[in-house]
Amino acid sequence: MDASKQVTSEHTMPPLDVLIIDDEETFAEACSQTLESKGYRVVVAKNGQQGLQMAGTAHPSVVLLDLKMPGMDGMEVLGRLGKIEPTAVPIVVTGHGTVDSAVESMKIGAFDFITKPFEPEKLLESVRRAKGLSVIRKESAAGDQPHSSNKYDLLLQGLDVLGEAYSMGLEKRQLLDELTYLENEAKYHAGSLGQIKKKERAILDIRNELLEADAIMRKYEFQKNALIQVLLDVQERFRWLPRHILNWISGRLNIPLREIYVIANFYEAFSLEPRGRHIVQVCTGTACHVRGASETLTRISTMLGLQPGQTDSKQEFTLETVHCIGCCALAPVVQIDSQYHRDPPRSKLEKIFKSLKKEEAEECLA
Amino acid sequence: MSRLEKPADLEKLRDQIVAQRNSKSKWLAVCAGTGCRAYGAETLADSLEEEIEKRGMGETVGVRRTGCHGFCERGPLVVVEPSGLCYLGAQPKNVPAIIDTLSSGDGAIDKLFFQDESGKPISHVDEIPFYKHQKRVVLENNVRIDASSILDYIAVGGYSALAKALSGMTPEDVLNEVKKAKLRGRGGGGFLAGRKWETTRNAHGDPKYVIVNADEGDPGAYMDRSILEGNPHGVLEGLILGAYAIGASEGFIYVRQEYPLARNHAQKALEEAREYGLLGKNILGTAFSFDVKIHRGAGAFVSGESSALMSAIEGHVGEPRPKYIHTSEKGIWGKPSCLNNVETWANVPHIINKGADWFCSMGTEGSKGTKIFSLVGKVTNTGLVEVPMGITLRDIIFKIGGGVPKGKKFKAVQTGGPSGGVIPESLLDLPVDFDELTKVGSMMGSGGMIVMDENTCMVDTARYYTNFLAHESCGKCVPCREGVRQMLIILNRITSGEGKEGDLELLEELSEFMEAASLCALGQSAPFPVKSTLKYFREEYVEHIKDKRCQAGVCSALIAYDIDQEKCEACGACLRNCPVNAVNKSEDKVFTIIQEKCIKCGACFTACPEKFGAVIKVPAYTMQKQPATAALIDNKA
Repeated sequence: MDASKQVTSEHTMPPLDVLIIDDEETFAEACSQTLESKGYRVVVAKNGQQGLQMAGTAHPSVVLLDLKMPGMDGMEVLGRLGKIEPTAVPIVVTGHGTVDSAVESMKIGAFDFITKPFEPEKLLESVRRAKGLSVIRKESAAGDQPHSSNKYDLLLQGLDVLGEAYSMGLEKRQLLDELTYLENEAKYHAGSLGQIKKKERAILDIRNELLEADAIMRKYEFQKNALIQVLLDVQERFRWLPRHILNWISGRLNIPLREIYVIANFYEAFSLEPRGRHIVQVCTGTACHVRGASETLTRISTMLGLQPGQTDSKQEFTLETVHCIGCCALAPVVQIDSQYHRDPPRSKLEKIFKSLKKEEAEECLA
Repeated sequence: MSRLEKPADLEKLRDQIVAQRNSKSKWLAVCAGTGCRAYGAETLADSLEEEIEKRGMGETVGVRRTGCHGFCERGPLVVVEPSGLCYLGAQPKNVPAIIDTLSSGDGAIDKLFFQDESGKPISHVDEIPFYKHQKRVVLENNVRIDASSILDYIAVGGYSALAKALSGMTPEDVLNEVKKAKLRGRGGGGFLAGRKWETTRNAHGDPKYVIVNADEGDPGAYMDRSILEGNPHGVLEGLILGAYAIGASEGFIYVRQEYPLARNHAQKALEEAREYGLLGKNILGTAFSFDVKIHRGAGAFVSGESSALMSAIEGHVGEPRPKYIHTSEKGIWGKPSCLNNVETWANVPHIINKGADWFCSMGTEGSKGTKIFSLVGKVTNTGLVEVPMGITLRDIIFKIGGGVPKGKKFKAVQTGGPSGGVIPESLLDLPVDFDELTKVGSMMGSGGMIVMDENTCMVDTARYYTNFLAHESCGKCVPCREGVRQMLIILNRITSGEGKEGDLELLEELSEFMEAASLCALGQSAPFPVKSTLKYFREEYVEHIKDKRCQAGVCSALIAYDIDQEKCEACGACLRNCPVNAVNKSEDKVFTIIQEKCIKCGACFTACPEKFGAVIKVPAYTMQKQPATAALIDNKA
């Protein structure tokens, strides 16, 4: 049998990516080719029984599942799959899509619901996301094993990808459903995971960020011409313009992402990179310039090891120049967070930087 | 308090407020403008309030947090009303003493008063030279009101111009009064506001818009911010009057993101004005309706240009467009839009209240009224000054500004921001007026006035402005984008000692080309800093190119720091302050600077006690051979 051949080779082959369970051979072949062309390792099972057996031995990341099959039908397979191979992420593919069957399959654990016929891109996108989720599930299932330190990063990456993909095509309602699903997913593993609190929080964070962006846009009644105002609020709230939020705004206000980036690049108030928790601004207005601001800048730049516009790797400080903060009497003036300093000498700067770092360390401990 | 239903209601309200306030016999007006806040004015106001409360004087004495008083150099400022005593640089530790003088008659704390040259204290605000020579019209109310309270503004006569206009003047009357006053736009060009209003009024299209330009981008200028921060209702009242005259139903206040306080105050002003029926539907119960939105600018100098600003309000990139048709005819969303800057609008209520004749009694033939300048740079009394048009530059800089500090020699004054030019000492008796300044190659601009002394390098100044403009050019038209860039390359070359013959001629040629071919005023005026410095200080350019010397000691590539061994007292201040450990201390306590390590940040120069003045600037080329203390450029002794 084909399947057993593949199962025995499991030990020498890298783990399987996608298991297709479908009785329509031509369709399964087409899906298989599409996925293989993108480098996925794929096997096909002709019915539910065989599919479950293969899932249990080959540990696929993603399972593409047809609902209508002779013998054991898709719903039943779906129900059992969760017990046999909990880390595999099922995607339901069917030619007889109804709302009821979609809801039903989602309830018992399907990650996505695709109706035939569909574009290859749609399949690839769904599989890509599902695989991302499977990675997280596998990591979670592995519990406290050595790789756990990367989980948080992986999760974030996965979510970033998700956020990006969703805001391109999906409606808000769908996105929220997905995120709710993810949340439940995280909670599901709560028992076995030490880091679960953190992960859960990360998921909620991203969701909340998008909700906050929504709240900002609502303030301006989702008007297109309020884009600059929206971006200013986002910048104020997050200290920079994260890509997933720009994507989200693009979708919500129906403005091409390109246009948003043009504006974000044009105005000085926007930052496309994360900024430090503390902002050191050297005023280079004319009054400060004639009183020696460039020398002050050289000094601070050397001390922080940053060029104007740069942020250090720990995101502690960002050094910037500004054109006049209107405190010309204090020229040359340096503004550190909300405090103004008249041409601070090295000793004073050292003290300030040190106390800011200390504050932060204390906050972390608390 | 409910809405005011007719113009006469305003007077009743005013009487009520005034009667209520008379219970307090004394007020302490604490400046809470951005400048004074930087000095800790808020803590000061808090502790004044606490002390008053503690002594049970809350019934008779009030503390008012006001907008900018102007004398930023000596903040935080406290003015006592009604006596007019003015405390400078007051700190929380002075609070008990200040309150003491209130209860025991108006005594005095000499050390907190202004002192004249002989050291005699001047206690009264109107007697201080900085204020004495000013003529405060627009800024007057800044000291008298708390910007976050509409009642304060109404108490000092606010909105009476609006009531007057709505009860007895037609829109034409208002327009004619402004035209008669010959009010010129305070934002830069000096275009007649009345004529602009008329164009928008007569233009076809509905609705019409009026806009306040508070995108003050000139580095070193903060007049508009201080007005909007200190008296937002004054600006709003002017805007409403303008809307009435023009027939506009919607307005915008375009304010820089960098001015959060101004924005908050403006926002609060809009809300309060709406509450009292001074803004919104059926203003003061009349058929006239008008409302205003705030739009925050995201930081782009070019967005202060009218068509660029309007494009930003529409939510697009703030780039200018060719103006074959003026924005006053086709502005926001293609509708007639009248844009004036903050100070221009703030003048309007005064004109309506006191009449065009009163306004015309101040100023020169071509420029009427007063003008606010931010007097900054190498000047003793940094601050905001409001003077009648026609006053000489010398009066502003020396009488009001107190001249150049530390006995240095005055070199030039720069007006008009990056689009302006420098004015040398020989022209100091020039009357300040739109046309006179343009004649000598500078301009009024929005009112930045930067004083420069002998330690300011004029080539560096030109390079500074050109660098600013190169950064701020939106890049839409080639003459501006490439022209400024090429100029900057040449100027960088000159200031780093690599200037060559023909550079100056090339700069002049570029200037001419940019002036003629650029799309908007930014590009057309971009060569002015270069042109005017070349005109008056050509020899400095030549010195940089031929002798590789920067007499002022500014261009870091042309100078080096050295320690004068004869003056050095081995105190070690330079060593402690050097961020890169470039100061070497030998065993017998001889301090020297390791030139290879030096980043020329000037820390040692600033740190060296003034009485020693041992750290000096020398031309860079001298350090390559031997320490040439003989060729020193500047020392502090």
